[in-house]
Order: sequence, then structure tokens, then C-alpha cells
Amino acid sequence: MNDILRFIAETTGGTYYKSFRYSFEGVEVPTVVYDDNRIIIMSPDKIGETDKTIRASKSVENLANNIMRGGKPPLFKFFLDGTRRTYKIDDISYGERIYPIIAGQILVGCCKRSQPDMFKSSLLETQIVLVLPDCADKDDKKTLFFNSLADKINNLSVIKKRGVSFQKVLSYPDKELKEGEKYENKGIARIQDEMVEAEKRMVVQLVKEKKLNNRSYLIKDGSIEYKKMGSDDYRDLSAIKSNYRCVVGVSKEFNPELFKDKRHKTLAKRIAELPLFHRTQAFKYTNERAPGVEFCIWYLRIRSTERTVGLFDGVIKVEKILVSDEEQEKGLDSDEIDLISANLVNERNPTCYGLDTRWANHLYPVYLTEKYIKSNYISEIQFLNLF
Amino acid sequence: MAKVIGRAAATEKIPTTIDEFYFWTDKEKILNPFDVIKAKHIQDSYTFGVVEEISHITDAPSYLSSYISSDFGDVSYIANTQRVGLNFVKAKVIGNTKGIYTPVLDGSEVSLGDEKEVQKALGLDEVKNPLACGYLEMYEAKDKIRLPVFLNSDFLLGPEGAHLNISGISGLAAKTSYGMFLIKAVQQRYLQRDIPKNESVAFVLFNIKGRDLLAIDELNDELSENDKGLYRDLKLDDKPFQNVTYFYPYDKDDSTNTYAKKTDVAAQIDADKAFKYKYLYEEDKDCMELFFSNIDDPQETMSSIINLILNGEANFGGIRSWGDFVEEVKSYTEKNAAGRDKSISVLSWRKFLRIIKKSLTNPIFAKRVDPKKNETRLREHITQKIKKDDVYVIDIAKLDEDMQAFVFGDVVNSIYEMKLGQVGDREPDEIPSKIVIFVDELNKYASGDVPKNSPILRKIIEITERGRSLGLILFSAEQFKSAIHDRVKGNCSTHAYGRTNAIEVSKNDYRYLPPVYKGMMTRLPQGEYIIQNPVLRSLLNIKFPNPVYKQYKNG
Repeated sequence: MNDILRFIAETTGGTYYKSFRYSFEGVEVPTVVYDDNRIIIMSPDKIGETDKTIRASKSVENLANNIMRGGKPPLFKFFLDGTRRTYKIDDISYGERIYPIIAGQILVGCCKRSQPDMFKSSLLETQIVLVLPDCADKDDKKTLFFNSLADKINNLSVIKKRGVSFQKVLSYPDKELKEGEKYENKGIARIQDEMVEAEKRMVVQLVKEKKLNNRSYLIKDGSIEYKKMGSDDYRDLSAIKSNYRCVVGVSKEFNPELFKDKRHKTLAKRIAELPLFHRTQAFKYTNERAPGVEFCIWYLRIRSTERTVGLFDGVIKVEKILVSDEEQEKGLDSDEIDLISANLVNERNPTCYGLDTRWANHLYPVYLTEKYIKSNYISEIQFLNLF
Repeated sequence: MAKVIGRAAATEKIPTTIDEFYFWTDKEKILNPFDVIKAKHIQDSYTFGVVEEISHITDAPSYLSSYISSDFGDVSYIANTQRVGLNFVKAKVIGNTKGIYTPVLDGSEVSLGDEKEVQKALGLDEVKNPLACGYLEMYEAKDKIRLPVFLNSDFLLGPEGAHLNISGISGLAAKTSYGMFLIKAVQQRYLQRDIPKNESVAFVLFNIKGRDLLAIDELNDELSENDKGLYRDLKLDDKPFQNVTYFYPYDKDDSTNTYAKKTDVAAQIDADKAFKYKYLYEEDKDCMELFFSNIDDPQETMSSIINLILNGEANFGGIRSWGDFVEEVKSYTEKNAAGRDKSISVLSWRKFLRIIKKSLTNPIFAKRVDPKKNETRLREHITQKIKKDDVYVIDIAKLDEDMQAFVFGDVVNSIYEMKLGQVGDREPDEIPSKIVIFVDELNKYASGDVPKNSPILRKIIEITERGRSLGLILFSAEQFKSAIHDRVKGNCSTHAYGRTNAIEVSKNDYRYLPPVYKGMMTRLPQGEYIIQNPVLRSLLNIKFPNPVYKQYKNG
């Protein structure tokens, strides 16, 4: 029992406590959301598309219908999503301080739709990770130490017997906590970062395999406003950006209050009242978390307000990275925005009504991808009993 | 290595068990009920299952989801993505290659079997005393296999089990054809002496429809090459029946009592393979109770009259003809008739007369037989002359229902008594060890509604309950099995279910069947049967080739 924890304690010179193990999924913890967390000011100089004349909204219904009736294949062929589950495994003390040991399952996957009835998994990356405080590495060797620790843990007989392995041992900062902070949250954030990295790796892989092109776009579930890359990977910003040439981030949930006009008046009402199959004008903005990257963002209503409950039900937020200098200067081609929007409108059915409360904002292929990825989780009982 | 078509799934709510398992498969994979599939199991074994039910599911939790997904009821809407869906199949476990009957594990590979595996799975690979009972086809397109099906004849003709019951609606089920196919298989087996010593068989068939069985010794010129091939696969020849003798009800002009053409009857008589049967008062008056098979007689007044007549009481002792007999009975129907037993009322005599009078007008009730004209008494002919490999066809098609019952009852009684050694002085070795009686429309004689005191019902029950040990085998057919007396159908070891209707399958007799099989029974194509036999591990859906004997297109 507790072979892994005993081994970690012995190897890192700490003391473990066999405290209660649980999943954070059932516990309310602040999660790190890479969504709207700053005010976006709509102003003429921040219009993110080539057509500067759009005022309130623009309908893409005809284009969507034409695509559908013309029998053109859908623009979106790949769907990517990432998910993670985090667990409090134990507490460990180093000196006089006690830190939580966090473990996580990270799953990132991509599905391909080649035909309406051919929806298959394309890529899947699963990771089991452990997160320890930085001070577990007493000699401050950082990555070297934690990688070596992962190898040693994987050589434990209990791990081999179970047929699993830890891909990484990560660490979270052990700095003194400010008010309201928790080490647990820092650990979870570390796992979230690792998931985002896996998502980026998967996009790179798809690009390398030449699967993404102007007839084969990828929908990434959620925002693509990734925070600044670490120093270990993807340093070439233009190369990173070009990987996202055919990638669209679609968010089901967003904070409309953060979208304001130049007089700092909220545009939430305008988004809520978007007519069916209309999109807003696209705006560009930069995020301090991703310096040097400009995003183009717009909202699109895919379901009628008469059929939904909430004001923003049926509205999705669409993001795309502005790749070329021209795009950054003039904005994304409005035709491309229309094409993306029209294809998103055509993705509105089937729905996951009855299965997901967010059905009005969900796109079915994305929902399926999410389902597929989550079906690969090791069960909570099995996972917690690894420790 | 067989192609994997799906994987077993065991869930919290629907686990796999010793008896059954579920697997998912592609929604476009065509499987059918009764298909045999195999699931990889522990210790390198395979568990075989028979497909019982196939369902298609999607992730839509309700019809509302489906409606909403069509843009709130737009019937022309076609989505970019089809809703995720699959077929899941319920399979009944019928065996394991290593005798391991623990439940099939979740995720086990499921594949189709090859011919040998299917044979083994269904217990058709090492059948003792093989008797062809049809063939089965399984799977679709290039996976399709066809297997001959042989039953152990010991379980159809005794001693292990006996009697066959075929049910199905008229025309679509081809009951007579299937019964005759089995009889053909039995006859050929016995003709080839592919049987234990001292065993022999003869057949007594009743022709109850048109000219159905009136040319069973003549070739079917229209038998296709495909059918001939099927007979070869079943190790049968495509020749018609041999050693056939026809018995037609006597009439003066050869057309009142039979559907057979005069010329055909004459030709058969010339070839000495047909006879005309008659009933004579002196010899056959004992059969009189058969007139009352379907008459309720709670006070037993009819029985009293019959006893009185058979005992020769009153003035019945010296009567020698049916005509005199009727006249004598008539005299008792008048008030204050002289010599009448006062314990039997005039009304009873009148009822008795009413019942017998209608039948006795038929020319088969005659004074004497003329052997030179191939006239005979059925009872005498059967008990004295039937020998091994004989096929006796008794035509009753054109007789009215009461007369049909009379003839049937008489023949059954004769055979029963012959097997018991109560009639004639034949050596036991001369009498075939097994006699198969084939009769359609069994419901006329052994339905649940037939009066309990019916002599025919009593005899049929005796045959089905005790006939096996005597070597008396009943092959029977009827439209609705549910109508047949429980003790009769309960004693049949083999049941063949042909096409029937939805009302019939809702009856208790079909309660043990999975709903899918019941549904199948209402859709079975002509000439397909679902067979149940004690040696089979599962019900089988079988087909059989067209008959080898001459078919009359217009009956």
C-alpha cells in the first residue's frame, strides 16, 4: 500500500501522511480559464476584418444555405479538445511546511469527420502526471530531477503491475501563499498548462501531417488564447502562428460584459439580440498572455432565441489567430469570416439536447470529440487506488 | 483469422451472463436473428452465441433530441454529421470451445464463424443417425454460408423422442411440403438400410387438399437444378416416393368423393397401386362411434345407443347393411316404437339418426367390396398388407368434415390395434417396426375445443403419449398450434414453426420465444421454418428444397 507515496517521500526526503484522497472534480476549486478576462474595446482601429462597413451584424444564412444545398463538403474536418481530471493524492511535508501532492489525468484528442457517417478518432494523447512542490527537488536540479523521479516511479513494481505509467512529474511554485491562494490551485494550474501544451503539440502534429488546409479546418473547443509559451518549445512565433492558419477556436461560454464599445458601454445587449445566423463584426485584439499574437474575434448566433432559455444561449464566440502581416494590418478577410461562420451555422445540428445543458451552444462534432476523449479516462476508483 | 465485427459490452445495467451477452457492431453490418457469432473468451477459447435481437441506438436521449436536431422539425434537413449510432446485438450463449461458461468479458472480440464452427456451435457436427431436415443459410454477401442440417432420427422417430408438429398459416407455410420432405428423407434412409437391424418403417398419409399427395410417386418435372443440388447436399436423391399405394373413397362415377381425375385413378388402379375403400356394416359397424367425434355427449345417450347397436340388442342383431340399419334406427324415432329401450328417449334416437344419416348417404358405405375392381376395406388392407417402406396415401380431401374424421379415426384405430397385435394374425416381423402417420389439419381432430370424450382425440393422445414405444409416430400439421390440445403438442419432440400471424404468436405457446423470433414468425418466407428439437442447442431457422414429387398447379 502507498508504495508510490512512500517512494516519493523517501526519495524527496519528505514525510507523507496517508491523508484523504479525492478528485477535485467534485470539489469547487477556482479553475484557470483562458477566456475573456479583460475588456475588449471595439473601436474602428480594432476592426479585425477587411470589410469595415459592417455595423450591427451580418447574416450568413444565405451562404450557409448555399453551402448546404450546393453539396459542398463542410469546411471543418477536424475537431480537437483537451480535458483533465485532477486529484488530491496526499500531503507531504518538507521541513515545517506541508504541501499537497496533486495527480492528474490529461487527455487531448482529435477526431476526424471524413463523411457525415464517418466520425473517427484521429489522435489521442493521454498523460498521467504528478505535481509536487518545487521544494521536493532539494538540490534544485529542476526538470532533470523530476524526470528522473518519474522514471524511478515507473520502475516501481506496483506501477508495472497495474500497466500504467507516469509521463511526467511536474512541480508547482512553493512560494509563500498570498491571501486566497492555495497550493492545490497552483498544482491544478500546472496540470492545466500541461494540457494546453498537449493541445498545441497536437495542432503541430496535424499541420506536420498536412491534414489542415483551406478545405480542411480544425475546430478547437474553447479559446485559443494560449498564454506565453515556455522557453522550452515553440519559440518561433511566426511558425506557431502559421500552424493556426486553419484553426478556429469556438467557445460555448463567454463573458459578454467584457465586450465594450469605445465609450466603454457594454455590448452584451447587442450580442444577446443578434438575429439568427448573424455574426457580429470581427475585432482584433492582443492578449498580454500571448505577446506578439493578434486574435480576431466575433460572435455568431446559431440558434434562435425563441428556442433557447438564456439570452446568450445559441451564441458562440469564434476566434482565429491573425497569421500574416497583412492580416494583422487589415484584419482577417471578411469572406473567410463569413465562410467560417456559415460553416459553423451548418454545424448546429444534430444537437446534444438532453445530454448537455449547454446544448444550444454546443457543436455536435465537438461534443462527440469531448465524449470520446472522456471515455478514455481511467476511472476515479482505479486511479486513486494507484496510490 | 475471422474478421472482427464488434466487441462484447458488459454494462452495469446489462451485464453479460452465463446465458447471454451483448456486443456492438457497425450500424451497417447486416446480421440476422439465428446467425451464429463467436466471442473470444478466456484461455484461448471461443464462446458461441446465436443472435436473438438487434437494436440500433444513438446518443439521443429522447425523440425530442431527434426532432430538435432536425432544426426543430425540418424534415428536409440533412446535417453535416450523422448522430453517433451503433447496433447492439443480444446473443444467446450456445457453447464454448473449452466448455467454459463464465460470462463473456467486456471488450471481447466478436466475429462470424466459419462453416465448421457454426456446425459445432449448433451441435450439428456429430449427429448420430443423421436425418436431413433442411438447410440453413447464414450471414450476408461474401460471408454467406449454407449448411445442411441433420437431426438425430432417434429424436424424431423414437426411441429417444417422437412425433413432429408443423404449424403455419395456409399456403405461406408450405406445411405439407415440409412434412413430405421429412418423410422423403426418412424413406430414403430406410430404403438405403442406413439403419439398425430389425428396424423398418411404413407411412400412412392423408391427402386433405385437392390432389396434393395423389402423385407422390411421379417425378416433379419442374424441379430446378438448384433444388437438385440442395437434395445432393442433403445426401438425398431427387427421385419421388417409392412403394406408394393410393386409397380413394369409393364412388360410382369416380368424381363425387375425390378430386383426382378419373383417368389418373384408372391408371393407378391398372398399375395395381390404387384402391377404392368402402365401409361395410357388418365389418365396420364398430367404428360407429367415430361419427360422434365432434358431438358433445354429456349424458352419454349417444354412447348408450351405440352400445345397444354393437351388442346386437333390440332388432340390431341381424342387420347386414347400412340401409337396413338406417331403417331400423328410423323405426325407433317414432313414438311408441315397438321394442324400443325406454331408457333412451325418442329425442335421442332422432338426434342419433340425424347425425348418422348424413354420412351414411355417402357411397363408401356399401354392402360389399369387389376385390377384382381393387375395392378394399381400409382397416383390413392396412392391418393385413402394410409392409416396410410402404407409403399409403388415403384420400379424404373431398369428403365432408365428419367423414374425414371418420376415416382418419378408423385408420388410426386400425394401425394402433395392429401395433398392439389385437387384429389379424400377422407375424410381428412382418409389421413395420415404425409407422409414421402424417395428417394435416390436426386441429379438426385434436383441438382444445374437441369434446373430451371424442374417440379420435383419445386415440391421438394415446399415440402421442404412448405411440413412441409402439413405433407409432405422428407427423401432424395445423394452422394454429395454440388450438391443439396441450397433451398432443406437449408430447411432440420436434416442432416446426412456419409463417404465422401476430395474434397466434401472442398466445401462451410462444411465450418462451424472444420477441424477435416471434416477429420473425410473422414474416417467414414461404418454405422457411423455425425448428425446435431436443438435440439442438438453439432454435434453427431452416429452409428446404421444393418437393421431388409431381405438383399440381391448380390443386
